Amino acid sequence: MVFSSLLFLFRFLPAVLIFYFLAPRKWRNLVLLLFSLVFYAWGEPVYIILMLVSILVSYTGGILVDRFLRQGRERSARVALIGSSVVSLSLLGFFKYADFVIGTVNSLTGAGIELLKLSLPIGISFYTFQTMSYTIDVYRGEAKVQKNLISFGAYVTMFPQLIAGPIVQYKTIDEQLRTRRETAEQFAEGVHRFMIGLGKKVLLANNAGALWDSIQAMTCTELPVLTAWMGLAAYTFQLYFDFSAYSDMAIGLGNMFGFHFLENFNYPYISKSITEFWRRWHISLSTWFRDYVYIPLGGNRVKRWKHVRNILVVWLLTGIWHGASWNFVAWGIYYGILLLLEKFVFGKWLEKLPGVFRHIYCMFFVMLGWNLFVFEDFGSGLAYLKALFGLYGQGFGNRETIYLLYNNAVLLVLLILGSTHIPARLGQWICRKLEDQEVVRTTLRNLFYVGIFLLSVAFLVDASYNPFLYFRF
Amino acid sequence: MEKREAWNTILVFVILIFGFTVATILKPSDDFSETENRSLAQMPKLTGQHILDGTFESDYESYLTDQFILRDAWIGLKTDVERLALKKESKDIYFADDDYLIEKHTGSFTTTQAERNIQSLAQFFDTYQDTFPEGHRSVLLIPNAVDILRDKLPAFAAPYDEEDYLAKAKAALADDLWVDAGAVLRQHMDTQLYYRTDHHWTTEAAFYVYQTWADAQNLPVRDAEHYDIRTVTDAFEGTIQSKLGIHTVKDSIDLYLAEGDPFYTVQKNGSEEVDYSIYDYSALDTKDKYAVFFGGNQALVKISTRAKSDRRFLVLQDSYAHCFLPFLFEDASEIDVVDLRYYNQKLSDLIAEGNYTDVLVLYNVAGFAEDTSLAKLLG
Repeated sequence: MVFSSLLFLFRFLPAVLIFYFLAPRKWRNLVLLLFSLVFYAWGEPVYIILMLVSILVSYTGGILVDRFLRQGRERSARVALIGSSVVSLSLLGFFKYADFVIGTVNSLTGAGIELLKLSLPIGISFYTFQTMSYTIDVYRGEAKVQKNLISFGAYVTMFPQLIAGPIVQYKTIDEQLRTRRETAEQFAEGVHRFMIGLGKKVLLANNAGALWDSIQAMTCTELPVLTAWMGLAAYTFQLYFDFSAYSDMAIGLGNMFGFHFLENFNYPYISKSITEFWRRWHISLSTWFRDYVYIPLGGNRVKRWKHVRNILVVWLLTGIWHGASWNFVAWGIYYGILLLLEKFVFGKWLEKLPGVFRHIYCMFFVMLGWNLFVFEDFGSGLAYLKALFGLYGQGFGNRETIYLLYNNAVLLVLLILGSTHIPARLGQWICRKLEDQEVVRTTLRNLFYVGIFLLSVAFLVDASYNPFLYFRF
Repeated sequence: MEKREAWNTILVFVILIFGFTVATILKPSDDFSETENRSLAQMPKLTGQHILDGTFESDYESYLTDQFILRDAWIGLKTDVERLALKKESKDIYFADDDYLIEKHTGSFTTTQAERNIQSLAQFFDTYQDTFPEGHRSVLLIPNAVDILRDKLPAFAAPYDEEDYLAKAKAALADDLWVDAGAVLRQHMDTQLYYRTDHHWTTEAAFYVYQTWADAQNLPVRDAEHYDIRTVTDAFEGTIQSKLGIHTVKDSIDLYLAEGDPFYTVQKNGSEEVDYSIYDYSALDTKDKYAVFFGGNQALVKISTRAKSDRRFLVLQDSYAHCFLPFLFEDASEIDVVDLRYYNQKLSDLIAEGNYTDVLVLYNVAGFAEDTSLAKLLG
């Protein structure tokens, strides 16, 4: 199930709210767990078994690690940790990467092994990382063991963040799972955040996506430069608004149930360097790789060549985490190299440039990165790249470019503004101006959110285009 | 946020979420959408099997979307927002000048289906060249509004050029077959050739093309004075309006009723029941007012006239022919009208039994390119 659907808004959400808030406090995690299982099972019930196995493995792993540590059996604890991690990673590896490996072996050796054609269990990359972070943190003594299977199950399956993140590390919500107090203020914050996310997804991301699809559907060799860039920009915005909208909705829904999830995006497109971009984009994933791969490998407190190796390993893994295909590997390495260059070659020099150039530099490489990301086969990616640089001799623009540009002008302006602080600051400014007029302020605010909600419903009722981008993660 | 403000927000949220939930649960299901002219999804049957394979879930979502309360109003709201955002099109429909809503038909002409349809048509005339020799066969592919009314399209709009596809079709067919409807229509740009809210051409447009076509078929050519032109409705909102859900203007439908009211009989779909008019005036009280012609799409309509003529026509057509065919009633003794999309018998049997002298193929060109039933031409 996805949040941006009539089904979620007008069937699932009201039901879970009623049961959750009518239930006595000690039953609430159970309510969350059961509803999350329905949420996950909707449309593809079979893989629920896989998720339950994954939960049991890390739950048991956590308990064993904890027990061995208490008994001072460091070595056994280590074995338990490795055991549960290997099982989790094997499940992920098998269901996500088996065909990728087989396909690669086939193309290298001509072995002709049959592909398994398994459909990817939704969210497996997200929940595997969550369950692994838990056992590792128990081993490191950073998280308390969770002996209550229902609470632990509620953590892993919690529907707000189940299928598209953010990747919530267990230690960050351990306390909240045990003792949390839902408050009206937090619930209302959650409502606002959810509405913002819904609007970003349905009104902005989907429309940006429709523009990208219409340009992508054109013959690549006939694309003038400006049209090609408009298309890539549309995809760039679609990805951000779609993904960050899911995080907004997740954080908002979490708030409604009394949880505080960490932020996942922080206006990534205002970045002035690639390093900064990755501090602002999909923060929960970068943090995960930092905490569980980069730092354990020694981070930057090692010899130069090891430091370089660590960075490349992290980015190779980041790439492959995004999808079982070589373009994602290339995309990860692309960022690894860019970050190394910024760190060791031109970072200092870059800082001296005026901000606007640094911003252009950053977005240029981010967009080229998305070009690598969006085309699964290198041939099409390369063909589109050629169009971006006018290598097909189609000139700068044509009739169609002008038509697309003025048709989508309002959308593009909204997308650009929406990628910055400006709307949030404007809202804060208005609220400050109306500080003494509570009725006006509240009414205005609610009208704004109700407006977004109603428009989103209109676009959902007439949904000819409402894709879910993260089915590969 | 202060407590009171928080409770305000929560109240509004609860009213929205639960209000629509209750409303959608209480609203009885509709079977059919008049505006969209299609059956709506119903509550799917709940079985274990269907839950496990996911069909229940996806059917339930279609049901929820189709049966959502105030569905038409939501769709209209979306279109209004798009127009406010200065978009010149929505769902592949242009908001053109003079309140014309014009379908784009992008992608209809470059498919293998579109290529195959031309081949099927060419093969059909090859197969039946003895039955329908030169002078007794013709093809009318009517360009759509997006082609003829291109001057009304939004600035810089560049839809697929239907002329390319028409040229391909023309090249694949024998020279005598082709009647250039587009050229005729372009001579009458000062008149209303297409409905503003519907995808069909007007009766007037059909009349001009009929004149040229009749001349080419050695049939008498009559002028407009011969007809009593009667406007039977001025409240027609057609299929394109339905897709967008907005109300712009209303169209009129004209009937060209021949002088002296020639007598003919109509039998639909093999039924014994005989009608004496192809006009179904009751359709004017419904949303789908274009169904005043022939009562909408029919698989087979047999029309017998008292015309003193030995010409017996087989017409293979879509609904563009519905307002065109009445012009023929005075000059052919038998006209059998087949819509291959709905006709499920063998066409070759019909031709063998029908003793036809002439064949006319009449489609709108986008409909022709998109049609998936034209392989039946060879059946």
